[in-house]
Amino acid sequence: MNRFEYLILMGLCVALTIPLQPLFGARICRRPRRLARTLLPVVAVFYLWDALAIARGHWWFDRRYATGVELPLGVPIEELVFFIVIPLCALLTFEAVRNLLAGTTPVQLHRARRRRARTAHDAGHPGARVDG
Amino acid sequence: MGEHTALAAVSVLAVIVLEHRVLRTGVFRSIPYWITLGICVAFMVPVNGWLTKLSAPIVLYAPAARTGWRFPLDIPVEDFAFGFSLLTLVVMSWMRAGASEPHEDRP
Repeated sequence: MNRFEYLILMGLCVALTIPLQPLFGARICRRPRRLARTLLPVVAVFYLWDALAIARGHWWFDRRYATGVELPLGVPIEELVFFIVIPLCALLTFEAVRNLLAGTTPVQLHRARRRRARTAHDAGHPGARVDG
Repeated sequence: MGEHTALAAVSVLAVIVLEHRVLRTGVFRSIPYWITLGICVAFMVPVNGWLTKLSAPIVLYAPAARTGWRFPLDIPVEDFAFGFSLLTLVVMSWMRAGASEPHEDRP
């Protein structure tokens, strides 16, 4: 492929998990402050770890598949994107799973509302048996 | 076995100690966390596998710094320790940030 291969892979990860917001109500972007407070320390720690590993020669990147744009401490821009994209994917998944288990995804809430409306309708119906 | 392996192992221990001694979010008792970890590791295999495949690697590793064990799809085993640390730290941090905001629901 080409030097955008790493970035394209990150884009695919985002494209795959963004639908979790509308589908499962994983609305992490509606909580920008909480999101920033979550991501900043995590990104900082892993960025420094990455910089250390690159400086110590633990790993490096093939220039054919990366843009070659370097950030401070010799970290490729793709790595920063990774440290933001992967946590976002994880949080979207976490919120989607939580909503699913709690019965608070949009579909589940909609069904619950319809059930409640039907119960209320049946209770108020002249033919329905009303206790008391 | 080298610095890379050691750092990956230390990161796992550091995350566990951080949870038990400092943050105490209850992340390891959270069922959504374990399900999320399972889903993310399942997706990590193709993504990480693509980055580290030996046929055309995007990320290359110094043999001296690590164990050399690769499984599955040429993924260095150290990456799973790295992945556990990153994912767990993110969920812990998210739970912590939510708990300290009065209007946020607690996980």
